[in-house]
Amino acid sequence: MKKVVGWIDQRFPLTSFIKHELTEYPTPRNLSYWWNFGSLAGVVLVIQIITGIFLAMHYKADAAMAFDSVEHIMRDVNYGWLIRFMHSTGATAFFAVIFIHMARTLYYGSYRAPREIMWWTGQLLLLLLMATAFMGYLLPWGQMSYWGAQVITSLFGAVPFLGDELVIWLRGDFTVGDATLTRFFALHYLVPFIIVGAVLIHLVALHQVRSSNPSGINLADKDNIPFHPYFTVKDLFGLSIFLTIYSYFVFYNPNLFIEADNYIPANPMQTPVHIVPEWYFLPFYAILRSVPDLLGGVIAMAISVMIFAAMPYLDRSKIPGGARYRPFYRVMFYLFVLNVLVLGYVGAKPPEGYLVPLGQIATFFYFASFILLPFGSKMEEKWLRQKGLPAEVEALIAGEEVQKADRRRKKDRRHRKETTEDV
Amino acid sequence: MFRFIAVVSLLFAKTVFASSTASPLVDIQMSQDFESIKRGAMVYYNTCRLCHGMKYIKYQSLQEIGFNASEIDKLRGDNLVTEAMVSRMSEEVSLEYYGMTPPDLSVMAKARKHGPQYIYTLMTSFTEKNNVYDNSFFPGIKMPDIFDISIATDNAAKAEIEAKVKDVTEFLTWAADPRAAERESLGKYVIAYFVLLSFMFYLVMKRVWSRLDA
Repeated sequence: MKKVVGWIDQRFPLTSFIKHELTEYPTPRNLSYWWNFGSLAGVVLVIQIITGIFLAMHYKADAAMAFDSVEHIMRDVNYGWLIRFMHSTGATAFFAVIFIHMARTLYYGSYRAPREIMWWTGQLLLLLLMATAFMGYLLPWGQMSYWGAQVITSLFGAVPFLGDELVIWLRGDFTVGDATLTRFFALHYLVPFIIVGAVLIHLVALHQVRSSNPSGINLADKDNIPFHPYFTVKDLFGLSIFLTIYSYFVFYNPNLFIEADNYIPANPMQTPVHIVPEWYFLPFYAILRSVPDLLGGVIAMAISVMIFAAMPYLDRSKIPGGARYRPFYRVMFYLFVLNVLVLGYVGAKPPEGYLVPLGQIATFFYFASFILLPFGSKMEEKWLRQKGLPAEVEALIAGEEVQKADRRRKKDRRHRKETTEDV
Repeated sequence: MFRFIAVVSLLFAKTVFASSTASPLVDIQMSQDFESIKRGAMVYYNTCRLCHGMKYIKYQSLQEIGFNASEIDKLRGDNLVTEAMVSRMSEEVSLEYYGMTPPDLSVMAKARKHGPQYIYTLMTSFTEKNNVYDNSFFPGIKMPDIFDISIATDNAAKAEIEAKVKDVTEFLTWAADPRAAERESLGKYVIAYFVLLSFMFYLVMKRVWSRLDA
């Protein structure tokens, strides 16, 4: 064994890679369970890819056969029902995990320097995930699949000048049809592998800047522990809890996240009474509908997803620990989450009665919380400093200063050594 | 943190269940008992099949609900066991009489919200007034009151029809998701496995992390 590893090590940095990225990779020991969701998302991605490949072995991407082939998978293929429900429940699980992962980042301010690239690659991953989920939802070729795709692709018609051409180009036809189904299938198979690539970039960035932690500062060396075995086992514990909950939905409530209408084969001649997207799109869908003008709505929806990327610049506070030591930001965070849930509720219902103004107020608050953040965070920091920071926070800031000075001294010494050697 | 979870679950619960409160559906639960499913299959075969097909249910599928080979042979007649149970009414006839093809029933129990309750309520809501037939749950429905529940005069006759409707609903519920029983019985073991696995990983985690205290 040792010989084999030695042989490989001469040709490939196996041992040093494992050491550097796993057995010696320093991880803050104070990470809470909220830090489990990144690796969980990775596992869900793997589940989706594997079940997806097996589904593709029996699925027919043809408007005349797609619906039947999904029923065939669930009835006649050995454990086809299991693979299909793992995949459909997996989509929901993926978004649930990703939303929690994002909420954690927002709560603890993990997007702040030096983790901007992590946050932006995460934003890219969210967009890719949304695109994949949207295209995958067309594949069962049910009524909701069909009309959901019809509505969302038609949104591109709001683009000035190019709108109509763009919609036809996307659909490959004048309406959602066989051409749309086959291209969505092709892309639904492709994009997950692009996601894998983007995840790798996300991880490379992570291993450069290392995990953030609830204190909000970079911890001293003594407070970091190797990733393996401490966090491998913690992630495995979190994963098995996740799989327990996931299995409940797969085995006992698999249709909870599938609209009943989607078991009616797609019918271009008959529009469902009420077209709703999947739950994970509902808040954004509510924003789209809350703006009276279509183009305005599309722009608002696009911004509502993309605006997270600006967080490192919108949040101007230097107080460590995200929401933990920042009462204003904490309240804003909870109100924002509540507001997103309100938007989700509005998005799920037909736009009638009080829901219309409620959706508009919630949309306004959604954007207001981002726009107010630069001023709010500055004012909050000023107020906190005037009041005197808690001793705990002062200690954290002082601790970080000491570390920074330490690192600078080490660097200087190395630099001096190198220059003297040169001489 | 716990406050946050509480708030989230409260809101989630509300959005999920809010829609189900104000429905006029009959609250009837499916037993998925094979005897009842089998009786329902016969009701379908003799009555519903006059107009409705079930393209995903083959004659051989009936084995799964307790029909034996000779019973299936009798039902299928000249059809192959691998053939689906199709409607006995031709498309031309249905278009002539109803202006549409009666919907396929294979997935009906999952193609409506609260499918089984929907089917049961629909089938028991036919009304008759001065020889005009209608359905209070689905006004203007084209389907006739095939079981004559609207003109049943005494409670005994009505109860008999309701029992028949219950059986056919059981059959359609099975047909929409024939792997449900297998799924639920396997689910027990899978969940038990993951609960045990979580517990064991918890112990391992405690053990590993205790090294840090030393």
